[in-house]
Parts: sequence; C-alpha cells; structure tokens
Amino acid sequence: MKSFRFAAKVVAVSSAVLLLAGASVAGDIKGKVNVQGLKSAENIAVYVDAIPDKKFDAPTTKPVMDQTKMTFAPHVMVVQVGTTVEFLNSDPVGHNVYWPSISGNKKLAHNLGTWPKGEKKAFQFNDVGVASLLCNVHPEMNGYVVIVPTPYFAVTDKSGNYEIKNVPPGKYTLKTWSEDGKVTTQAVEVGTGAATADLTVKK
Amino acid sequence: MSRRQCNARPKILGNLNRYVRHPSQILARSGGKGWDYVHNDKHLAVKTVAALLVGTFVTFVLLAMVPSGKAIPAFSRKYQTSCTTCHNNYPELNDFGLAFKKNGFKFPTDDDTFVKQEPVLLGSKAQKEAFPGAVYPGEIPGTIPIAFRYEGNFNWNSNQPQPVQAVGYIPRTDLFVPNTFTIISAGSFGPNFSFWIDDDISAGGSGANGGLGDGWLKYNDLGHVFHLPKNALNVRYGQFELDLPFTQARTPYLSGYDVFGEGALAQQSCSGSTPPNPCQTVNNSFILGAPQRGIEFGGYPNNGNFIWDVAIVDGTGSAYGGTTALVTRNTKDVYVRASYQFNLERDPDSRHAIQAAGATGPHDHTSIRVGGFYYHGKNQQNFGGSSFGSVGLTNTLNEPFYLVGGDVRFRYRNKLEIYGVGLVSHNDNHYLTVDSTGAGTFTNAHAVTSTGGFVAGNYWIYPWLIATMRYDFVNSPSDYWNGASQSRTRNDFRPGYQILVRANIKVVGEYTRHWGVPYQDAAGNTLYYRPNSFVTGIDYVF
Repeated sequence: MKSFRFAAKVVAVSSAVLLLAGASVAGDIKGKVNVQGLKSAENIAVYVDAIPDKKFDAPTTKPVMDQTKMTFAPHVMVVQVGTTVEFLNSDPVGHNVYWPSISGNKKLAHNLGTWPKGEKKAFQFNDVGVASLLCNVHPEMNGYVVIVPTPYFAVTDKSGNYEIKNVPPGKYTLKTWSEDGKVTTQAVEVGTGAATADLTVKK
Repeated sequence: MSRRQCNARPKILGNLNRYVRHPSQILARSGGKGWDYVHNDKHLAVKTVAALLVGTFVTFVLLAMVPSGKAIPAFSRKYQTSCTTCHNNYPELNDFGLAFKKNGFKFPTDDDTFVKQEPVLLGSKAQKEAFPGAVYPGEIPGTIPIAFRYEGNFNWNSNQPQPVQAVGYIPRTDLFVPNTFTIISAGSFGPNFSFWIDDDISAGGSGANGGLGDGWLKYNDLGHVFHLPKNALNVRYGQFELDLPFTQARTPYLSGYDVFGEGALAQQSCSGSTPPNPCQTVNNSFILGAPQRGIEFGGYPNNGNFIWDVAIVDGTGSAYGGTTALVTRNTKDVYVRASYQFNLERDPDSRHAIQAAGATGPHDHTSIRVGGFYYHGKNQQNFGGSSFGSVGLTNTLNEPFYLVGGDVRFRYRNKLEIYGVGLVSHNDNHYLTVDSTGAGTFTNAHAVTSTGGFVAGNYWIYPWLIATMRYDFVNSPSDYWNGASQSRTRNDFRPGYQILVRANIKVVGEYTRHWGVPYQDAAGNTLYYRPNSFVTGIDYVF
C-alpha cells in the first residue's frame, strides 16, 4: 500500500513538473477581430508571420477541403506551407477545383481536373500566399486556401474570435487575411501564459 | 404567343413586306391578265379569293414564324447556382441543363440536398399511405418561381429602293426593336410534376402586349408505373414547342430558323403563261416552329441517349371560336420524332455521367446525335363554305400535308457545335377551275412542296465569347412563282457573336445577308435587292 502511495506521488509530481515545463515553452494567442466595412468577421485568417531563422517541417496531416452541396467547406482553410490538402467531392454532380493564381502569381495556377463523388485529389502547397479555389462548372463556388509560413494560425468564428494554440514564447508579428479586407499586421508578445491580441480589419 | 415571336415581329413584318410583297403586287406580276380566260365578272371574284388566300397566309406567317427564348433565373435562385450550371450560352442548354430539364426541373441525383429554398408541402409524405382516402401529397415551390427577361436591339437595315419603301418603309436604323419584357415561371410540384409558363408582358414597344408562349404541365416518369426504365415515358399537356431537332424557343440566335417558319402557299398567279394553270388552292399557314396545343408522350431512356416523342396537337394556324366561316382547321395533327446520341467520350465512366470528366474539369460530352422527324396534318379550308362561295363551292377542302426531315448535331465538349436540319414538306393540292358560267370546280393537282434546312456552327472562343454562323435555305417553287425571291432557293447567311458580359447579361449581334427580293420599278421592270440587316443589342434575365 505504501509503495502504491509513493508511486502515485511520483506520478503527480512528475506531471506537475512537465506541465510547468510545457507552459514555459508554449502559450496561446487569443483575441477578437473587429471589422470595419466588412459584412462579417467570420472566416478571417489570423497567423503568425514568418519567424526569422526559424524553419518548420511540413506537417504530415492532410486537411480535407470538401465540395458539398455546391460549396467549398470550409470556406477558408489555413495551412502551413508544405501542407498537402486533400480535395473531396461529396456531391453527385461533377465538380473540379482550380485556382488561377496564388496571390496573383499566375505561374502557380493549377487545375486538379475532375473526380467522382467520394473520391479525393491531393495537392501540396509549397508557396506562401492565397489560392482562390474555383469550380469551372459552378462559378458561384468559391473557397480559399491560405498558405502561411508558420504552424501558428487560426480562423475566426462568427463573432470574430480566434485562438492560436501552442505558440512558443517570443515576439511575433500577427497577420490577417480576409476575403474583402486589407491585411492587418500587429506585433504580439507571447509569454508563458495566454497573450491577447485584438485586431481590426478594414475593407 | 411566345416572347420572341412577338418581339421580333416588327422585324419580320419588315422582312415579309420585303419578300412576300403586297398581294396586289403578286397578282400584278401577271400584269393583271392572268385571269383573262375567265369571264370578267368572275375575274374579280376569283382574284379576291386569291388575294384572301395570300393575305391569310401572310398574316399567319407573320404571327407565328419567329422563335421564343427562355432562361430560368428562378432555378438559379432555388439552387443558389449560376446560370452557367445549365447554360453554356443561355438559353441553350448544356448537358447538365438537359439532364435537369429531363428530370422535371430537378437535379438528376439527390435533388433535395441542393435545394436552398425549401418547398411547401401540400400534405406530408406519409399521406401517401392514406391515399385514396386523402388527397395525394404534393408540394409547391417555397417562393414563387418567377423570372424576367428583357431584350432590346439596335437595327441597321440596308437601303430600300424607293418602290419598296412605298409599300413597306423600314428605317435605316432603329433603336431597341424588338423591345421585349417577358415573365417566366417554371418549376416542379413534387417528384413527378413539372410546369412551365412564359408570357410576353410587353413586346414590340410601349404597351404592346405579347402573349402566352408555352404553358404546360408534365408528368415525369409515368413509365415507372409500368416498370419501364427511368424517364422512358413522360406525358405533357398544354401549349408547348414540339420536340424539334433544335429548339426555336431556346435558340440563342436573334433570328428564327427560316425553315421552321415556312408555310405552304400554292402559286397564286393563274396566268396562262406561267405554270401551273389553273389556280391552285393550298394555303397552309402551318409552321413547325410555333408553339402547339396538345398532348405529348415522350421519353429519354438509355441515359438520355435515345429520345422519342409522339405528340397529338391542334396544329398551328388553327382558328376557332368564331363562326364556322372563320374556321380554318378542325383536325388533329401528329408529330413523331426519334433521335439517338452516339457518345464519343473514350472513358466509359464519362460516357455514363451527366457531364464528361476532363483533365481540367467536367465538360459536355463529345457526341453526335442523329434523328428524324415526321409531322402529319390536314389543312382544312372553306369550313364554313364562304371562302370559295363566290364560285359556288361550299364543300370543305381537305388538304393533307406532311413534313419529314432529318438532323445531325456534333458537339465537341463546350467548345464547338455544328448542326443541321434538312426537311421536305408536301401539301396535297387542288386546282380551282372556274368555267365561263362562273361555277368553280376542285380537282386534284400536283402537290405543293418545298425543301429546306440550315447548317449552323457555334464556337466558344472563351466561355464568355461565342462566334456563331448559320446558313438557312428554303427551296420553294411556289414562293418563287409568288414573287417571294429572286431564285427558287432562298439563302440567308448569318454570322454573329454572343458576349456573356455576366452569366445573365448578354450582348448579342447578328448580320443577315438576305436573299434577293424582287420589286418593280416605276416602269414595271422587275429588279432585285437584298434587305440585309445587322441587329445587335442587350439581353438580360433576372
């Protein structure tokens, strides 16, 4: 019985040490994006801009951009550069996905072609920027893949709230991207706890 | 009266004034001496009959020879999708639009999941179990499915010779003619019923009313009851355009197909010097392109590759409701059409899909469709006994007629389409002989026939920029003898363009190099001129 109590104490102390250690190396950035002249504060990408002398490995997870009910879902997807995105067709009608440029660079235009319901096509985004996703059959369909240089990003909810998790302590530049608004830049310092950064995006 | 029938009427009036000429001119072509073998008192009577025949014919052709066009923004709202989902160049349908239409204005698969405006249920689905103890459940669109279309064009016309101006002046330029505003409603009442109504609120100018184009109710997939393949048997009631090889109602062109507006009129000159002699009776105002009232059975099994259609209709040019003297037709006509599409896509999956899978996205199938059609009717004249009463003929004149033709269409994806139609028309005919006592006699005559068709091509330079070209031809010896044209074959060349400024706004243009039209100068010499025209304008739907 004594040995069990001792073991439990060891586990508890070890866990506390680990938690404290973790808190000291990563914090969160929370905040709210307010908009001026935009219809909604939803679907605004907020991300930590490039960090000098810091490189990140490409993630192995493959987020899925769905085409369902003749819409792209999610409407805005933010990924770290190097991420492979899978494009799924969930509709029983023909779709395709293409983007005419990445942030205006037409050399990075790409057309993924056609694939049937239930199947996916993958593409690795290796250039920072914004790809406007289009379907050449249904021109009302539109989505965005925002390719950012760091793994620290979020997309605002309906109220404009966002939360970027597990950001190491340090000084960073926060950036926004939105469909109709200008880019907003703001400095933020992340300590051991949660940092708050409210931003304003103007049309 | 369909929209474009009305909105192009002023132009057609002009055209007909040019080529049909005034009846008195036609009779004058024989120098007014063509009846000199008849007693002078009867000369006037028979001449009047002939003039009436020409006049009636011209009137009906005027009223019915031009197509209507429609696109349906109501569906765009219902599904929150662009016009281009169903149209490459509205109102012409693409492969998906055709599948949508054939499915009763519903998405071919999982329609419910795409509807953004929920319908109103006229009874829960569970009411089906209570039938026949309860009304079978149906539904109506959640919002009134109404759409509008406006067209206004700039017209440039070639100079008319003075004698032509005197009988039918057309200005060199004319702004916003046709000038048409159309209301369109279409949709579905549950899984099986679909409907369509279009009507010109205004046509041809301020306050000028148009009329009903199509108005019908269709029961889709009636064949399901008989365990037939999906959509193998449908039935449609009301007023509708026949299942023509190429729709006149939804043609993207500014002008109608000449051959679909061709009636039949026997030679009206009864001169001893120009065959045939004596006078002939055919005066059939039927044209293939006008909407018809009737019942239609049809289907599109085998993935829509095979299309069949049988319609029982009133026939165009019918006139009822007045005294029997005014009745021009009283029989029912039959129209039959069948066509088959050969899909040229290499990928088997693509061949069976609604649209083909391409390297850069779905597109229309590369295909060839071939078909044939047959129309049989009976033109009745003198129903009330008064049309030929002046020469003592009171019996109804029955003149069966038919049109038979074939068609082919090649389509390469969404880039190019080339198509054509050829047809022959045949009208049973009679001689009207008037003896020296003034008594008339009908005897069988050689048929009044004509041939015609068109070849057309459209090329999508960009998805929004389309070059068009069409060649129409009609060979009608009787029209020629009646002074309609310089030669027996009337040819029109029509290069044009269509620019989709937006998916629902078009700038359109079409030049027509018209056939030579005869006219007479002051000295009585027959001369010819081409009433060429250029029409360009705006066309938008919302």
